[in-house]
Amino acid sequence: MSDGAATLEISALTSGYGEAIVIRGVSMTVAPGEIVALLGKNGMGKSTLLKTVMGFLPAREGKITLRGHDVTRDPPHRIARQAIAYTPQEQAIFQDLSVGDNLRLGQSEASWFEEELARVAQVFPFLKERLGQRAGTLSGGEQKMLLIARALMARPKLMLVDEITEGLQPSIIEQLTEALAVQRERTGVAMLLVEQNVRFALNVADRWAVLKLGEIDDAGKSDAHNAAARIADHLSV
Amino acid sequence: MAKGAQTSSAKVHFAAAKPRSDIRTVLKGGVLALLVLGVAPFFLDIYTVNILIRALFLATLALTVDLLWGYTGILTFGQSAFFGIGAYACALVFTHWGFGAGWAILALVLGIIAAMAVAALVGWLAFYHGAAPLYGSIVTLALPIVLTQIVFAGGRTTGSSSGLSGFPTYYWSIEIWFWLAGAFLVVVTGLAWLFVRSDMGRVLVAIKENEIRCAYLGIPVPRIKILLMVAAGGIGAIAGFGYAAFTNVVAPELTGFLLGTELLVWVALGGRGTLIGPVLGAIFIDVTSSYLSGSFPFYWKLLVGILFVVVIVALPQGLMPVVTNLWRRLVPGKRSAAEPAKLAAAPKREIAESVDKPLIVRGVHRHFGSLQVLQGIDFEAEKGELLSLVGPNGAGKTTLIRCIADGYERSGGDITIYGKPLGRWAPDRCVALGIGRKFQAANVFATLTVGECLRVARYRLDPPSTWASDTILNLPEAALRIVEETGLGESLATEARHLAHGQKQALELAMVLALEPSIVLLDEPTAGLTRVERERIGTILTSLTERERLSVLLVEHDLDFVRKISSRVIVLHQGRIMLDGSVDEVVGSELIRNIYAGSAQGGRGDPE
Repeated sequence: MSDGAATLEISALTSGYGEAIVIRGVSMTVAPGEIVALLGKNGMGKSTLLKTVMGFLPAREGKITLRGHDVTRDPPHRIARQAIAYTPQEQAIFQDLSVGDNLRLGQSEASWFEEELARVAQVFPFLKERLGQRAGTLSGGEQKMLLIARALMARPKLMLVDEITEGLQPSIIEQLTEALAVQRERTGVAMLLVEQNVRFALNVADRWAVLKLGEIDDAGKSDAHNAAARIADHLSV
Repeated sequence: MAKGAQTSSAKVHFAAAKPRSDIRTVLKGGVLALLVLGVAPFFLDIYTVNILIRALFLATLALTVDLLWGYTGILTFGQSAFFGIGAYACALVFTHWGFGAGWAILALVLGIIAAMAVAALVGWLAFYHGAAPLYGSIVTLALPIVLTQIVFAGGRTTGSSSGLSGFPTYYWSIEIWFWLAGAFLVVVTGLAWLFVRSDMGRVLVAIKENEIRCAYLGIPVPRIKILLMVAAGGIGAIAGFGYAAFTNVVAPELTGFLLGTELLVWVALGGRGTLIGPVLGAIFIDVTSSYLSGSFPFYWKLLVGILFVVVIVALPQGLMPVVTNLWRRLVPGKRSAAEPAKLAAAPKREIAESVDKPLIVRGVHRHFGSLQVLQGIDFEAEKGELLSLVGPNGAGKTTLIRCIADGYERSGGDITIYGKPLGRWAPDRCVALGIGRKFQAANVFATLTVGECLRVARYRLDPPSTWASDTILNLPEAALRIVEETGLGESLATEARHLAHGQKQALELAMVLALEPSIVLLDEPTAGLTRVERERIGTILTSLTERERLSVLLVEHDLDFVRKISSRVIVLHQGRIMLDGSVDEVVGSELIRNIYAGSAQGGRGDPE
């Protein structure tokens, strides 16, 4: 591992399902401690890009480097060992395990558990009260919170987050914005977020990129005065 | 708006188009197969023909296993039982009652009736409401074991463990038996082929993919499974009858669990869900094993075992898909995939005007053990009302939706839908009352195409053909608009699993609207969609309520969206209704600020 390496470096990546090419030659970098939001309309390849980085889909062409390691051909469990936490959009918690066991499964060091739990419980208090409840009986939004809590508690170096705000009540989204910033401050985690909630994305991220038909169509800094308007243009076409 | 109306009217086709069926392919294939079978006995030695006759009967049985397991997802270990029933019907009648044309017909009919009755009973036990799939498989596992015990207990009547042999039967020439067995297999395969390629065949795959979604589309899943089991049982009994009449021997093994399991192995090796694969697999393994098991009884079983493991590991789909792929590569030709059905507007349906309050909920509560999720829920929905249900995560919103869409769900209280009390009914009966439910997580049929998913959703209103597929797909206007405005119209031939998350949401919404429901329950229908797409769907929903007078109950977190489209808002908090009022009253309320929205006031605040 070289110290100067980017947390995530994607170069000229192409991937897809069956005969369909979904990602076409995408290159992007996420530096340590940086948060990048990936925006775009439906079916433009945002989730596919995360799945490819995570090794669930093979890269057809191009290269993926995590903290200096080439992981282009690695299976998902090896990629996860690079301290990568992935929160997918669908079906990602263990329905038949308890809330506590779901959280423990994400941990690489058992000794962190209590400390980390106390920390995420400040954002999602219900987790601590319901450690013994079967996770499948949580409501849809609560399952989403469990998912993000599990990722945060793993003290990852990189988080790949797929539409985490979907189904969350507005006040929780606000707290989550705060929690992600705190986590970055504390652990220096980098994040690649796929989002439809543009306001949340711009509040959290340093930079944004719009994906269109599998290519990066536009990109910029979140604090640029015209960021919101430019993104809105891309999303409304 | 004008554009939307124009495109939808341009797509109206009148239902004169002929349904498409594979009948020509089947006739060609059937004639070819019959020709091969017709001349085969003259080129093969008597021993091989003998073995082949038995293999052809067993292959027909394997075919029924493929229908149940490969297409519908019913893992059955018990198909041998029906084979055994047919075989024993033949042996018992010929041994104890008499032999002749009349007796033969009687034995066949008795065998079929007995097998179908047993299949109906087993199907009912295995698939009644609430039975887990694993439980169904265990019931089918018990069946052959029970039957074998009955045969053992039958003493002289059934021949106990040594079975019955030497009963009088038709000593026709071996060629005639071969042709009979072959013709039976070809006819059953042809019919099964038409069936699985038909619209009804797609429904079977939908059941395998996602039984819950099927139930909420009003498809009577248990009934379909039981009917299929009964048909497969009847065919199995005919095959068993033929087998017994030809070999002149029946033994308890024919009803046994071992044969039932071997059938699964043959089907898996040949290729599940391909029909031809299991047939060829059964014939191949049965013939080879007859040749080899004589000389290497132990090694042969071992070899089959190893082959099975290798195929499962290397080719989880079985051998048939490999063969077809190879064929496609070697013989290139224009093999255009079947055109997706053309969309057409379904005739307009009027909402019953006689009833005042489409939905009345009184004192509904729901608890899981000691956990009270809903308590004392009372509200009514009017015609043409878009009622939004908001509240913190975990407030019980989805549980309330579930209580309205599934009569078994609530712990107590009364629900009335269009004047009819909702009994303890499964979701498919609730659909018949006019309920349509969209799930929170996109819930579609992964391996069906977009067009097929929509077709399956029309099960109740346009009953599917069992031998052909319709080239026209009738959809109500609202579903058509969803399809067109979210771009699904260009993806009708795309498998649903390849859609992006938001498109799956749109597809499921279109499927629910295709039911032509009068009360629509939508659980975060626009999650994962962009603001523009959400607005389009919002417009479609408001026009549904305003123009078509539907009642929509919507769970939604985006208060901006709620404000724009709702006519009334209910706030649910910790399982109780805290507020019920107009949009302005509720969205601006202190309560909402405190429990729900935070400083952001709840909008997603996307830039305008």
